[in-house]
Parts: sequence; structure tokens; C-alpha cells
Amino acid sequence: MPTTRANACATPSRRDLFLQLGAGFGGMALAHLLGSGELQAEPFVASAPSGDLNGGLHHRAKVKRVVQLFMNGGASPMDTFDYKPRLAELHGQTFDPGGNVKLESVTGSPGFKVLKSPFEFKQHGQSGRCVSDLFPHLATCVDDLAFLMSMSSKTNVHGPASYMQNTGFVLPGFPCMGAWIGYGLGSLTDNLPTFVVMPDPRGLPYNNQGNFSAGFLPVKHQGTIIRPHLPNPIADLFPPKDAAQITPESEREGLALLAEANREHERQWPGDSRLEARIASYELAARMQLSAPEALDISRETAGTHKLYGLDEQPTEIFGRNCLIARRLLERGVRFVQVWSGASGAKDNWDNHGNIAAELPPMAQATDKPCAALVKDLKARGLFEDTLIVWTTEFGRMPFSQGTAGRDHNAGTFVSWMAGAGIKNGVAHGQSDEWGWKSLDPTWCYDLHATMLHLMGVDHTRLTYRFNGANRRLTDVHGDVIQEVLA
Amino acid sequence: MRSLAPHLARLNNATMAFFNGLLVLEYRMAPCRSQDWIAAVLLLACLGATPIGAAEASKPVDFTRDVLPTLQARCFSCHDEKRQESDFRLDRRDDALRGGANGVTIVPGKSGESSLIERISGADPDLRMPPKGELLSKEVVAVIRAWIDQGAVWPADTESPKPADHWSLKPLVRPPMPAAADSSSITNPIDAFILARLAESGLRPSAEADRRTLIRRVTVDLIGLPPTSAEVDAFLVDNAPDAYQRLVDRLLASPRYGERWARHWMDVVHFAETHGNDQDRPRENAWPYRDYLIRSFNDDKPYARFVAEQVAGDVLSPDDPQATVALGFLAAGPWDESSLMCIVDDTTDKKLAQVLDRDDMLTNVMSTFCSATVHCARCHNHKFDPISQADYYGLQAVFAGVDRADRSFDLDPVLHQRRRQLTQRKHDVGKLTTEQLTADVRLQAELVSLEQDFRRSRAIWTTLVPVTVTSSGEATMTPQSDGSVLFGGPRPETDTATITVETELAGITAIQLEVLPDPSLPHQGPGRHDNGNLHLSEFKLTAAPAPGGEPASVPIASAFADFNQDSWSIAAAIDGKKETAWGIYPEVGKAHAAVFVLKEPLRVTGRTRLTVVLDQLHGRGHLIGRPRLSVTTVANPESSKPLAVELAAILALSPAERTEPQKLTLARALLGWQIDNQLAGLSAPQAVYAASKDFKGGNNFHPATRPRSVHFLRRGDINQPLEEAAPGALSCVPSIESRFKLRDADDEGSRREALAHWLVDRDNVLTWRSIVNRVWHYHFDRGIVDTPNDLGHMGGPPSHPALLDWLAVEFRNGGGSLKALHRLMVTSAAYRQSSAIDPERARADGDNRLLWRMNRRRLDAETIRDAVLQASGKLDLTMGGPSARQFVESKGIHVTPNIDYQTYNVDSPGNFRRSVYRFLFRTLPDPLLESLDCPDGSQLAPVRSASMTALQALSLLDNRFIVRQSEHTAARIQTAAAAPVDQIHLLFQLVLLRDPTPAESQRWQAYAERHTLANACRMMFNTNEFVFVN
Repeated sequence: MPTTRANACATPSRRDLFLQLGAGFGGMALAHLLGSGELQAEPFVASAPSGDLNGGLHHRAKVKRVVQLFMNGGASPMDTFDYKPRLAELHGQTFDPGGNVKLESVTGSPGFKVLKSPFEFKQHGQSGRCVSDLFPHLATCVDDLAFLMSMSSKTNVHGPASYMQNTGFVLPGFPCMGAWIGYGLGSLTDNLPTFVVMPDPRGLPYNNQGNFSAGFLPVKHQGTIIRPHLPNPIADLFPPKDAAQITPESEREGLALLAEANREHERQWPGDSRLEARIASYELAARMQLSAPEALDISRETAGTHKLYGLDEQPTEIFGRNCLIARRLLERGVRFVQVWSGASGAKDNWDNHGNIAAELPPMAQATDKPCAALVKDLKARGLFEDTLIVWTTEFGRMPFSQGTAGRDHNAGTFVSWMAGAGIKNGVAHGQSDEWGWKSLDPTWCYDLHATMLHLMGVDHTRLTYRFNGANRRLTDVHGDVIQEVLA
Repeated sequence: MRSLAPHLARLNNATMAFFNGLLVLEYRMAPCRSQDWIAAVLLLACLGATPIGAAEASKPVDFTRDVLPTLQARCFSCHDEKRQESDFRLDRRDDALRGGANGVTIVPGKSGESSLIERISGADPDLRMPPKGELLSKEVVAVIRAWIDQGAVWPADTESPKPADHWSLKPLVRPPMPAAADSSSITNPIDAFILARLAESGLRPSAEADRRTLIRRVTVDLIGLPPTSAEVDAFLVDNAPDAYQRLVDRLLASPRYGERWARHWMDVVHFAETHGNDQDRPRENAWPYRDYLIRSFNDDKPYARFVAEQVAGDVLSPDDPQATVALGFLAAGPWDESSLMCIVDDTTDKKLAQVLDRDDMLTNVMSTFCSATVHCARCHNHKFDPISQADYYGLQAVFAGVDRADRSFDLDPVLHQRRRQLTQRKHDVGKLTTEQLTADVRLQAELVSLEQDFRRSRAIWTTLVPVTVTSSGEATMTPQSDGSVLFGGPRPETDTATITVETELAGITAIQLEVLPDPSLPHQGPGRHDNGNLHLSEFKLTAAPAPGGEPASVPIASAFADFNQDSWSIAAAIDGKKETAWGIYPEVGKAHAAVFVLKEPLRVTGRTRLTVVLDQLHGRGHLIGRPRLSVTTVANPESSKPLAVELAAILALSPAERTEPQKLTLARALLGWQIDNQLAGLSAPQAVYAASKDFKGGNNFHPATRPRSVHFLRRGDINQPLEEAAPGALSCVPSIESRFKLRDADDEGSRREALAHWLVDRDNVLTWRSIVNRVWHYHFDRGIVDTPNDLGHMGGPPSHPALLDWLAVEFRNGGGSLKALHRLMVTSAAYRQSSAIDPERARADGDNRLLWRMNRRRLDAETIRDAVLQASGKLDLTMGGPSARQFVESKGIHVTPNIDYQTYNVDSPGNFRRSVYRFLFRTLPDPLLESLDCPDGSQLAPVRSASMTALQALSLLDNRFIVRQSEHTAARIQTAAAAPVDQIHLLFQLVLLRDPTPAESQRWQAYAERHTLANACRMMFNTNEFVFVN
């Protein structure tokens, strides 16, 4: 417990015990800043998890960085990656899974009429994965992907379900995956945030920033929001433009003045590493001001790369740009990048209540090419050696119709996929029933999270944080590593 | 459990040894003696006979000797006190017998039904236990099987220590004051305890801090603002011996004190002003609770009363409006609007959401007041503290009758009382009996005059006989003698019926649509759908001079009906949306009526033709079967809602014709109407977002008519309900009854009242220990127990247990005055020490757990913001009222509004209020305050972290608030002083409360000259000297 508290930092500086880093700041001070040195479950030194474990905490890591693509709203499995020919046979009939089970549908009063997918499915690649014709680009990548065909959620409601997929809990206030990873593994670079989130420019997802929250972990593990389409992509990275008195010189000399004042203060009050840490934080802030604009500057990429991500076409431009920036951030040492497709609300997302045939294709089109580009690009650049891609959503959709052509939420089964380091290529784990209504063998977010942490060299049961009487974990009291998708 | 490998090795050896005919189980950790019978079993196994036979049934298995070693060697590494894989704990009998998340069970006496045996015998390789390494040998499994068959006897002394005798549950007795070496120097009892403990460790305390440090420390601590330089100067020259005491008294008397400590309390109870989920709706009426807190702290409300009010103020002090406002506490946390209001009733998602909603309430109560982690007992008995699932669900039952909603109250106590009496009377009217009615002659007389009043107040409806009727769906239409039209023939999917009528009435104010039952309709109607329902999508009205005049649309202002189907209210018939409609299900087979109030009285002269269009577009034959139209000219048709069918029928009878039950129904209705009128005459009440059992609701969210039934949930699973839970609290708190004896179990208020009494009982050792520790935490930056919300087995150990108990007793016996407690703490020598770090003592106690110095603290988010405002001279000390929305708000796509902090005008007056008055938006917190560790209200925050990050540095340098306030500070300085040297002097005084050294003065002057004074102010706000309190 003490290590979570400010006061614990007030022990006498042990700078001599640590490597001198950067501009002469003690390792303790840097540890404050880099999001490490506070792990409770295991003794943990400075910012570097064990070198012989390849950066892992409990065992050898295969993955050092993660990009998560989150399809907000509940991407329909039977219209994307989970081919259900039975639905075509039963189309228009009243849905009856047998056994007199009570059908629940949370948002409306549907007729429970089976709705077939309006899209064609074909097999692709060596693995022969069935993919709907909405994803012509990802279809060419299926041999690089490992599909989780029977994901399940505890809830059919966006808010709790989004919290669950991001934090493992259906309630607000728990740390999300990116925060846990920053807490457990620290950062790979001093120059950029450890955990970056790029929301859909059309709006934040359900739960707004709640999905990227550090919860009860220290605030430094919060996702840093980057909005590349805005003039100021990172809030407060630079002073407001209308403050004319602020110039590069005023900042350079001002920071020098500040550092001098702070050093003098520290000399007066020796032995408190937090005073040092605050001095160091201004150095890091200055470095971030230099590094972030460079990382976000996609004009440095070739025309071929722009084309690969679909930046030359309207439907793919926005999501493609965020995917390309994600790749640039990963290259520069950001550990966890989350890219969102879809805002909350009644449109511009994957929550296709009204009409699957009309509402799903634009979402698929906007993301298909960029997602495929990310797979191909990371692979081509060798980043697949230590990078993981995860495509996911908060729940699936019903095999029967809402209104006449849409689908209501379904926590029963949905699809996610993974690709990259440590992942077995072209496999599929789990299956849903013949209608795509429920999982036959549910895979939970706990399992997905346990697997991601496992690949990063972390035993999910040992990454804990004591809060209000419980040793909290990303995986609650659950989670099994999904061995079937591991290479 | 790193030592697993050797055990495994030994087990392998044992197995091998067995097959070599050596019947000694070497792997046992316990000494092995007289195990002949086991040997016999093993021998049988070896010979291929079944190991389960008569042989072992007569040979008793000794758990400690025969079973426990195996569990220790092979199971505890994943299933003990430290780890509970699959939520299964095998080191305590109760937990082991309860089973795990995957349904692994031990059924005493029935090994065949105990799935544990399947697991450990390894029949299914995917489910085998232990999952890795050698399987348990058949022989070992046989022993465990025998042990289960013999009743799974588990001696108590083998269990992990039960924490029932945990320090925090022991009776509260005032400990003796430690005898100090030099007792004459001790004026504050706290110091006797602190010094005694330091002396034990051979440490000595630090010298008193200098006066400048002291006044800044205690001022920030007590009121959340730094002192002004004038206050510092006055204190520096005050040589009276009681100067510091008077300073403390002044601060405790300041209204700023309540603001500071209310903010602490808001952390603890996770208060914020939006729901915090996907439908993050602003709570417009959460703020009165914040003002209640500020007022309570400033008034030094006795702690017991403060606690009780927040749980059951409405019941305990019904005539005190503030006691109702206190219930904002129970509603402070997040609320899942999607699951609780928007989704269909009777779904798993909704039931789960209700459990979680109560979980938040009871967690808030028990963590805040008792520092008990009761929420850990939702799925299983608490693993470390003596808190059972029965305790947990008892607390769920306490809150089974309330929800979170706006609740009305009147700030004026007289008005509050009047409204409450009327509401109570209305409630009582519902319980009036025939006996009472027949016995009360005065009442009967009153009812006669009331009925006359009532009739006079009712609108007179003039039925209009249709001139023409058309049906777009080609239904048949048969005029009836009562002025209605009966629709029949083949039933179309949808229909638009158009009815024209003519009238000479001037000044029509409303038009009534009655939908009448008829034997020809399904279920007697009034609709034509198979279930008797109908859906009126839109109601439209035009008027034209008759005959042949030009029709003009008549705008409708509002509509009401005698009955609205859930989610199909009459408002939907005038909302311009085809998709929404009015319905009457399940109240079929009777007449219903809807009234449409015109925006203004219809001004026509002579005969008028009215055309009513009834769009019925929902489909599947949801059509009106028999409509009738009427109009009125009454001035306020709103007051004349359609009567319930039964009541209308009674009124149509003469008094002599009425039966006794009819008389009673009428009496209740008339008295209710009278009270409604009296209530309507009172000025509108205020609202507070609070725990409530009486609220408007909407959609699929309605008050519980009686407390909802709460069941134990097996493993916390909503789909595995067990027996019903009875209201109660923690059984581990000694000498107070934890199962409540209620006056009326159906009265939810009595449940909360019982809990309130339990919480503030003199003997509730947790309550008194919890609060003194919490206050200590805020003064010393670390509690005597450093987990202020957990005084249990897994919480921190108390650094000074005797002091904690002494404070608790002192506080309780002294009437629970928080101000007295503050005074005691901040006047101690321990508090007044220097915070300087002495390397020698730091080696002995680097963490300063024994308080050999004071702790240095980083200012919290609000204090930084408020201190900047104070320095710039912009701080607005207006107290209370609706929160300052320090952002630009626009309509969002859905329920959640769009919130923009970037384009907000930082010079808006609301931005200068103290931070405690900020509007707190859960899922979009203020970026500046968030970077400074301000919690967002999603979780209880008994402790704040004080981080230092690069992004925080960027916020303090670049955030628009800081930049603008720096400009304001510069302007203030420039107005007061002209010479650069004086300006820098003033800057130091305003921000650091001291004079600059000559070197500092020179450096800052040079910088200000080159880069403006505003930039110098901004850099000053970033210094460690400003951001930390020594």
C-alpha cells in the first residue's frame, strides 16, 4: 500500500543506487515519471522489467507493444466473420432455439424473426476463413490472423459492456487495459506517452473517457488522447496560440529559471525524491513537445504508404490516418495504442439497430482497408516481431431482426481477432451455435486480456493493485490464457 | 509457494516408491504413523481392486494427518489465502465447501456428488487438478474420497486464523496515556503516544517548524487555501503564547473550512454530477448535497447526527429539510441509466444492474462510515474478514426500497412540513375504510360539499356527432347512437381515420377523444388489435368556417390521458413522429380518454367545421375501434384530466344508488383531489438528487411500491438466486444486534433507520475508529491505518493502535465534534514539527511511519487552482448554489451532452469560484484538475495520489486557465507596483508568501523584463516551493 502514495516517495533519495539517466536525474525520480517503480505484487526495479525476460515481468515476453482497434457499438458477427448459413434457411421464421428458453432483447420489442445476413461470404487464404464481402482487404490477411469466434459478454448494454471489454468490470472506475500495461511494464520511451488513445473524430465512444481511464491506478496511467484531425492534437502540449507573450525563447529561458528555482529549493530541503521528480517532469515535458509533433507528422510517409492505408480516399481517410499514426507511435516506443471506430449515439458506429444492410457497409468500408494496411505494414517493417494487433468490439448482434432489417445487441457471442507476435497464424478458436446466438464455448474478455498480458510476459494473476480491500486485477478472478491462438 | 517443485519431486518419488512395494508415503509433510489402513487401501489398489470399499469406511481419515498435507503440497499454491484461482479457496472449510467459480464442489458424505474428485482424478485432461505436473496418485485420491464420504471432517484448528479477534473489532476502551520521560513538556495527549513510540525505536521528534511554514501548513490544511501575505505578517509578529491556538480557531471558524472538508468528503463518497456510464446525463440537482456538506462541517454537526442523516435523515428528522438533502449521499455514485431505465424490464441485464446499484449504495455506506470492505462478500463470504454473504445481502435488503432520483424538498422548514403533512394525508386517504367513513358524520358532510366543488371544477364536454368519417384502410364505419363510430370489416394493418364534426361553441379550449369498448372488438376493445390494444401515432386537428371555409391547422399545446401504456404515452401522439404512439395495453376492455389542449382558445365565429385526423401507423392492426369526440370551453382543461372509468360511473349515479364500496372509492378520490389542490397551491419545491422511493421515473424506471425482494446470490450470480435476505448489517461488530427488528418490514424507511441506528451506536467500534483515522489521514497525509477505507485484516496495520483508540473514545465521548478533533490534532507538537529530512533518522524510519517529522505534501488539485485564483485576486468566494459549469456544453448525439473545455471562455465569472463549486462531469473530467490527481467520482477515493508527470507539467505550463490567470496576476501586480524590483517583490509575496533574495530578485526581474511579468507569474506557479507544503 505505501508505494501508491505520495508520501512513500519522500524517502531519502537513493540516486546513488541507480544508474544515472538523462540529465542527471536519479532512477527513483525517473521511475516516478515513467510509470514504474510502484508495482505491488512483485519487487520491481526502476523502469526496466527484467532484460533476460525480453521486457517481461514474470516470463519471457513476445510482445512489447499493442495496437487495439475497437469497433464501438457492437460489430455484428454473422455479417462479418462468423458465417451462419442456417440463418438463410430460417430467414423470416420465428427464432426458436428450442428448450422453451426465454428470448431477451434489451432495447426493443422485436418480432424475433430470423434475419439472414444480406452479405455474401467466401472462403479465403490457406486457412479457408469465411469472411463477408464487406471486408475484401482483411480477407487477404486471414492467414495472418487468429480469430476468437466465441467471445461473450456479461451484459447487453453498451455502457457496462464497453467498460467490461476495456477494464474487465461492468462498472465505472476500473483501470483499462492500457493503464494496467503501463502500470505493469512501464514505458519504452521517455519522449511519448505510454498509452495513447485515438477516438473517432465524430465523437467519443460510449462512456466517453471512462473507457480509457486509469481508474484507481495513479493518473499517470491514464490514456493520453490524441486527436490528429485537430489543430491541437494533444491538449496542453503547447501554450494557447493567443497568448502572444509566450514564445520559444520565453519557454526556454522560463524553464531554465524554473529549474534553477527548483534546484535551489531542493538544496534547501534535501532528501525528498519527489522534488527531483518534479524537476525531471519538466525535462520530459520538453522532450515530449519535440517528439510528439514529429510522430504525428504523416507527411514524412511515402505516397505508397498513404495509399496503402487509404488516405487518398474519402471513406478510409480518417480511420486510415489514425492507423498510420498508430504505427508511427508504436515505432517510437508507445506501448499501447487504442484506435476507435465509431462514436456513441444512434449513427456513425457499429450499433446497427435499424438496418444492417444500410448501416454496416460504411463502417466496414471505412475500416477494412486501414486494418489490413496495419497488418501488412507492421509485417513488412518487421514490427510483427514484437507487436500485437487486437481487433475487438463490446458485444455482437442478434440472429433475429429488430424492426425488419436491423439487429439488437447480443452479449451471447461475437468475434475478435488478434495478429502479430506470438500469435498462431490463420487459426480460429471457439465457435458459436448454428445461429450465432450464443457461444458454445465462451471466451471472455478475461481470457483475451490474460492472453495479451501473457504475450507481454505478464502473469495476469500476479499483476495486482490493492484498492479498497481487494487485490484488483484486470482479469478480476477469472481468465485463462488462450493457448490455441499462441504460436 | 515457490517450494512447489520439491513437493512434486517428492510426490513422484512416493508414487514410484509405492509401486516398488514400499508402502511409505514419504511426501507427507506431517509425520506418518499408524497408517496401516491406508496401506491396505493402497494394496487393494495395487491388486486392481477398487480402492473404495468397506475397508476405509470403518477407518477414520484424519484430515490433518491424511488430507491437509496433500492440499498444502498440491493445491494451496493456487487456492489459499493469497490466491483463489477460479475463486476457489481450499484452506478454510467454509470456503472449500462452498465451492469455486467453476462449480467444483465437496459434498460431505457424498464423494460421488463431489466434483472435486473428478477434478483430482484427472478423468478429463482439460479439467484435471492440479493442472500441471503429475496427477495425484489413485491412492491419494482414494484417501480424499474416503475423507469426504466420512463427512469431510475439518477440525477448526487447521484453518487459517479467523480474524474475528482482529484489532479493529475489539471493544473500544480508552487506553492509558503512556508515561513520558519528560511529561511536563507534553501539553497535548497525542504527543504522549507519539513520543512513547518514537522513544521505543530510539528516535526523537523534530523541532517545531518555523512560523511561516506553520501558518501556510495549517491554513492550507484547514481551509484549502494558502494564507495571504498580510495574514503571514500578522502571525509572524504575534508573540502572544496562544497565537497559534487563535490562528487555528480563526481557521476553523472560517466558512472556507466547510468548503475544504466537504471536498474531502466528496472524494470519500465518490460524489459527482453526472451518471458516469454511456448515458452520462447531468444531474441538475446534485449540488444541494454538496451545500449540505459544507453547512454541516461549518456548523460542526455532531458526527453521529451527520452519519445518521445521510442514511435515513428523511425518516429520523422528517421535518428538517436538510436531513432529506443529506440523502444525496446514497445517490452520490454512478448510475447505469441504460440498464436501469432504458432496457426492457425483467431481463437479466436489468436485474444485475439493480443488484449493482444497491451494491454501490451499501459499499458507499460501509466503506465511508465503517471502513469495512463489505463489498468483498457479494460472491462469497469475505475471504479475510468475518463478513458473511448473509451480512452482505442483509445490507442489500436495507436499500431494496430506494432508487436514485430527484427528490423534492423545501428549503423553508415550514413549507417543508406543510408539504410533508399533505403528502402523508394523501397517503392516509388511500387507507380510509368503510367503517371510518360510516362512523364519521362530519366527514360525510364534508364529502357532500366536496363533490359539489368537484363537479363545478370539471370541464363540461359536449359530444360532437360526426358529419363525415373516412378510413384510408377501407374499414367499415357505423355511427352509434351515443355519437361514437364503430369501425369494422376487414382489419387493415394501418389506418388514417378522418372525422369531421361541426359546432357553434365559441372559445373551444380542448378536444377529447374517447376510445370506447364494444362487444364486436377483440377483448371488447377499445382497440382492434388481437389483444384489444391500439396505437394512435399522431392526432391532428384543423378548423374551418362551415360550410366550405378554408381549413387552418389548430396547434395542440399538450395532451393527457386517463391511462398511458408503458413507453406509449399520449405525448407521443403529438410529437410529430410517426414511429411513436399512444397505447392503452394492458388496460383493455374499458373506455379510455385522451384530451388535447389547444395552444389558444379557438377563435371562430358562427358554425365551425373541425376535422380530426387519427394516424394509426404502427401496423399489425393497432387501430381504434370506437372513437367519440367532444369539446370543452373550460378555462383550464389541464385541471380536468379524464376521470378513471370507475369514478365516472360512480359520479353518474345518485348518492342513494351508490354501494358502500363505491362510496368509499368516491370518498378517497374526492379527498385526494382536495389534497392535490392544496399541494398545487404551495410554491414549487426544490429538488435534490438523492435516494428516493417516491419519484416520477419514466420509461422502464419506476419506484418500488414495496421493498424489492433481495435474494442471496450463489457466487453473486443473478441467475442463481437462493433464499431471501433479511435486512441487517455486520454480525462481526460485537454487542450490537446486526439482524434488524423492524416496525414494518414493508416500510423501506424503517430499514434505513435501523441501519442508521446501528452505524452510530456507541458500541459500533468501526464507526468511531474509522472517522478519527480518516481525519488523521487528512492532517498528517497518512492515516494511523494507511488504508482509511479498510480497517480489516488486509488493511494496513495501525502505526499507533493505542492512540487511535484513545482518539476514538475521546471523539465519541466528546459528542463527535470534528472541530474539536481537528484542534486536538493540529495543535499537537507532532503536527507542528519541521518536515525537513534528517538522513540519520530516515535510515531508521524512512517512511516516517513513527512521525519523527511532519510529512511534506504536494498541494491537491483544488488547492492549486484556488491558490492561483487567490494570487491573481480573482477568487470569487460566493458560497453554494448550482455548480459552475466550467466548460462549453452543447447537445450531444444521445443523452450525454458534448462538453468542451478547450473553447470555454476562461474569464467567465463562474470560472473564478472555488473549485469545490465546479460542476463534476464523470466521464469528461476537467483536464487540468485531472492531471493533478483529482478523482472523477467513479470510485471511492479515500486517498488521493500526488503524482508528478510530464503531462501534468504541460498542464501547469500551458493550460488556458493557468496562462490567463498568470496574466491577471501580472496585471494585479502592475497596478500595485511600478518598479520592476517591487513587482518581483510582490510576485514572491503573492505566490510564495516571502521576500525574494537579492539574487532571486535579479533573476526574475531579468526574465520578466525580457519575457513579460505574466510569464514570470506562470513560471512561479510551477515552482516546487508553491506546489509543495512543507
